[in-house]
Amino acid sequence: MSVVQKTGPSSKWYLPGIVVGLGITIRHLFQNLMNPKKMPTINYPEEKYEYGPRFKGNHVLTVKKDGSLRCTACMLCATNCPAQCITIVASEHNDPTVEKFPINYEIDMLRCVFCGFCEEACPVDAIRMGPEWQTPGLNGSQFNYDIERLAYRSNLKGGVLSIVDDDERHKSGI
Amino acid sequence: MKEVQLLTEHYSKPEYRTLKGYQQWGGYETLKKALKMPPQQIIDEVKNSGLRGRGGAGFPTGMKWGFLPKNGEPRFLLCNGDEGEPGTFKDRIIFEQAPHQLIEGMIISGFAIGSKKGYIYIRGEYKKPAAIIEAALGEAYEVGLLGKNILGTGIDFDLDVYWGAGAYICGEETGMISSLEGDKGQPKLKPPFPAVQGYLKKPTIVNNVETLAAVVPIIRDGATAYRQFGTEKSPGTKLFSLSGNVNKPGNYEVSLGTPLKDLIYDFGGGIKGDRQLKAVIPGGSSAPVLTADEVLKANLDYESLAGLGTMLGSGAVIVIDDSQCMVDLLGVLTHFYSHESCGQCTPCREGTGWLNKIVHSILEGRGRLQDIELLEKVAHQMKGKTICALSDAAALPVISFITKFRDEFEFYVREGRSKVKGISHAKMHH
Amino acid sequence: MPKCTINGKEIEVKEGTSIIQAMTENGQRIAHYCWHPGLSVAGVCRLCMVEIEGNPRVQIACNTMVTEGMKINNTSEKVKEAVKWGLDFHLINHPLDCPICDQAGECGLQDQYMEYGIYDSEMAERKVKKHKVVSLGDRIVLDSERCILCSRCVRFTDEVTGTKELGIFNRGDRSEIGTFEDRPLNNKYSINTVDICPVGALTSKDFRFKQRVWYLKDGDTICTGCSTGCNTKVYFNREGIFRIKPRFNKEVNGYWMCDEGRDLYKVFNRENRQIKALKKLGHSFEEMLPGAAAKDIFKNLSTSLQGASLVVTGQLSNEDLQKAFSFFTGALNSKQIYHWKNNPESWSDFDGLLLRGDKNPNTKGVEKCFEEFQIQTRFEDLEAALEQSQISTLVVMVPENIFAYPDLSAKLKHFGKAKNLILLSSSLVSLEDVRGGAHCWVVPMKTTIEKSGSFINHNGLTQFFKKVTTLVSEALTVDQALTLMGGGEVTVEMPHSSSETRFLVDYNHRSDQVKAEAYKKNEFSFKRGTL
Repeated sequence: MSVVQKTGPSSKWYLPGIVVGLGITIRHLFQNLMNPKKMPTINYPEEKYEYGPRFKGNHVLTVKKDGSLRCTACMLCATNCPAQCITIVASEHNDPTVEKFPINYEIDMLRCVFCGFCEEACPVDAIRMGPEWQTPGLNGSQFNYDIERLAYRSNLKGGVLSIVDDDERHKSGI
Repeated sequence: MKEVQLLTEHYSKPEYRTLKGYQQWGGYETLKKALKMPPQQIIDEVKNSGLRGRGGAGFPTGMKWGFLPKNGEPRFLLCNGDEGEPGTFKDRIIFEQAPHQLIEGMIISGFAIGSKKGYIYIRGEYKKPAAIIEAALGEAYEVGLLGKNILGTGIDFDLDVYWGAGAYICGEETGMISSLEGDKGQPKLKPPFPAVQGYLKKPTIVNNVETLAAVVPIIRDGATAYRQFGTEKSPGTKLFSLSGNVNKPGNYEVSLGTPLKDLIYDFGGGIKGDRQLKAVIPGGSSAPVLTADEVLKANLDYESLAGLGTMLGSGAVIVIDDSQCMVDLLGVLTHFYSHESCGQCTPCREGTGWLNKIVHSILEGRGRLQDIELLEKVAHQMKGKTICALSDAAALPVISFITKFRDEFEFYVREGRSKVKGISHAKMHH
Repeated sequence: MPKCTINGKEIEVKEGTSIIQAMTENGQRIAHYCWHPGLSVAGVCRLCMVEIEGNPRVQIACNTMVTEGMKINNTSEKVKEAVKWGLDFHLINHPLDCPICDQAGECGLQDQYMEYGIYDSEMAERKVKKHKVVSLGDRIVLDSERCILCSRCVRFTDEVTGTKELGIFNRGDRSEIGTFEDRPLNNKYSINTVDICPVGALTSKDFRFKQRVWYLKDGDTICTGCSTGCNTKVYFNREGIFRIKPRFNKEVNGYWMCDEGRDLYKVFNRENRQIKALKKLGHSFEEMLPGAAAKDIFKNLSTSLQGASLVVTGQLSNEDLQKAFSFFTGALNSKQIYHWKNNPESWSDFDGLLLRGDKNPNTKGVEKCFEEFQIQTRFEDLEAALEQSQISTLVVMVPENIFAYPDLSAKLKHFGKAKNLILLSSSLVSLEDVRGGAHCWVVPMKTTIEKSGSFINHNGLTQFFKKVTTLVSEALTVDQALTLMGGGEVTVEMPHSSSETRFLVDYNHRSDQVKAEAYKKNEFSFKRGTL
């Protein structure tokens, strides 16, 4: 950041500047009093702002039709993550068509920079960034989101369905 | 036109397959003559006769024998009777009608190359021919034609029959050796060639049934007499298995160099139902196809057919009339090769399967126009890239079918049905 | 000695060298899957295509011998086209499950695709379905769909181990690797098949899904599993060591190593290590830092250390043995040094390939030290003396590979009969084991991969190894522990002076990290009022 310094005799005449500035403030005060609907500020937290659907907010882990996690624990998101905030522990699944799945998936929200690289790296649409952005917490540990919170938090109503379907994939023979 | 009967003179007589009948028509006289000759003289005689391998590749037999090392190392003579090439059934008639002719030829050849042990590798499906040849072997052993001290000359030669298990690839000589050794029938890397390191890592000569049988008339009448038949570069006679849409399919022995149309129209009695000739596969299913125009120019010898971009192969002439759909036929061929690929080399293992899938997706009406080009591209990339020639055998028909009958393929892709038969493959098979 | 020209470079090779050997030995790159220098030539992947002058067709390099004056080229368009198609044939039925494939990151198909491929596959048909997740044995899992049938694993079991468990079943594109019924792949070298598998078809059950390979760094070391002394590579990251692979050494192990040796990474990892030092005076236990414990020994036992007995095993490096022997014979004026041998009756066992009965990497080195310091003692005498409570102070260098010492716990209880027992141990010592002695100290030590040194193998070959990484930073080396016990001070060298610590920099820091000097060069400061 730099500070612009005007030097010269005119810079000593600050009174006109104050008058112009106050004029703008007062104009806006009256505009807002006359027409409160056009006011750009909202009364948070009673009113909430809706971001667009492409807003990169809190992460969501998608699920398959049977409700289990879509994630295959390939760790491409963790590899790609510039903040290194994703921790995955993979394990062998009993079902040989699934083969690999995460037994632990954690995102440290305090380290996350919401860049969306995880979403881009994911080959199976297992992680998305949703429109939620209010993430209060009382202490640090509450910002370590686990599978329960990433995939099955109450407002997701049982999980978001992934667009990648194993059955269809197998049927098409790829 | 008359059939030349150098090999098959007595094949019509049922008693010819027994030792007594065979000897009645002069059998084993040639062997007695040969055993008095020095081995090198027999090899020279075969070399001078210009006999070429009758199994498919047409490699000069005398030259092949000459590749053996000149030391006293034990060596083997293998008879390749795994007649797997679709359309070929010429070895079968030798097994069935003249087993002793083959045995005599093998004893002479074995004596010439200094081998004391021979095997007849017969394809698994030939149950009846195998029984006949085994019975003939028993007869030969009984009278001392095989075993220790043949006919009191002090020469030993043993022969055994080995049954294949029904794999096309065991017709390839190194694949056959692998199978004979008890391994999976897969061709081996060359070099070393079998003549240097073959069966059980010993020098080995592998010859076709017909080649070994042809040694008998060559030694009996001499090389010069044999050379009176055939052409300069393709001397002698050959058995041709005529099949397909002809009136009289069957085995015919003709001089090499006979025009192909004579075989079809004179011996075969013309096209069945007086239809038009559309194409001919002249040398077994792996030979590129000839169109009706090309058939008129073709002579049945190695050079003439090579000049037309195809080959004499095993001598299986498959006649195709104008009621046949070429796409459908190619589907049969690609299925055969993808089923028979041994799975060793990647281009063949994956390529044959790929070709088959593309042709069948065309047959099932899911074809795309670029698939025809893709078929050609894949086939070209499979050519000459593998250990044995199966990959080439699968690729060549695809290339020749598409280049010569492209319109049929394009019609099938566009309309989803056969240009000739008017219906789709799915309908044909239900 | 034929001379040939490969890609314009003249090379002289030995008689009977194949083109692919000549190329790899001279640092030329050539695509291949089925060829492996330790196995016979199969010639089935058809990828190592080269163009030889005077021959119109491209040929495989693995089955073509170099002859005098041969001109070989594998960079021409013709060869590249052939390799590209060869690769496409491999890939048409290969499932694209790289995300869940353990081989991803070190996969031959990925490597060759990046070099020769980068095309859109024209395969629009259905891929062949085969068996997935097949357990071939106790240690190996097979995925037939990923398999490219290079037959390396089959040839390994045929030619190297001679056990012949594996075979290729079926034919054509339905071919699959498999074992015969009731004959699982359970030989002692089975994981070598995983190493030589160029794709992810064979994976190790032990390593499966533990880590992605790109999270691992590797370092060279020597296996401590037996007296063969195989050259190995350990793969580690900051969470610990995850696997061990063999490293080629013609004179020792060739390309292979045994499965037993691969399990040894477990003894290096923190969960099996002694991290805190223990001190037991009478009945009170105390946990302390290793360095403090070593100093504490000096403070408590400074005089009674004189004439103390020492137990060594063949698990120590020559340098550690030298230090210990000279410390005991010199400063402590004691010749009571005993060689603890585990089951010496089976030491001469040898399975014909690599595994030896002597499960210590440096038995020869111990014997050499005993000779050098002219010490002739018998371990039985020590045991008898312990039985009669004649030993006042006993220092035990506990072996780091506790798998090779199944009677460790019983032996430690026996050692506990000494009045003062000092255990220098890298592996976890249970408090139960040391309950016997009056006073006892357990000092955590560093393991082979955390220090540099040398071993003498069964053949008398001295092999040096360097420090790979540090897993328990507070543990002491033998040198440090003995110096502190003798009342000395240990200074920790800074990581730019000694050559040993430079090694640490090499392995523990990424090469692309900006050095401090570079930061300094770019340094500048903002001033208020300027841009």
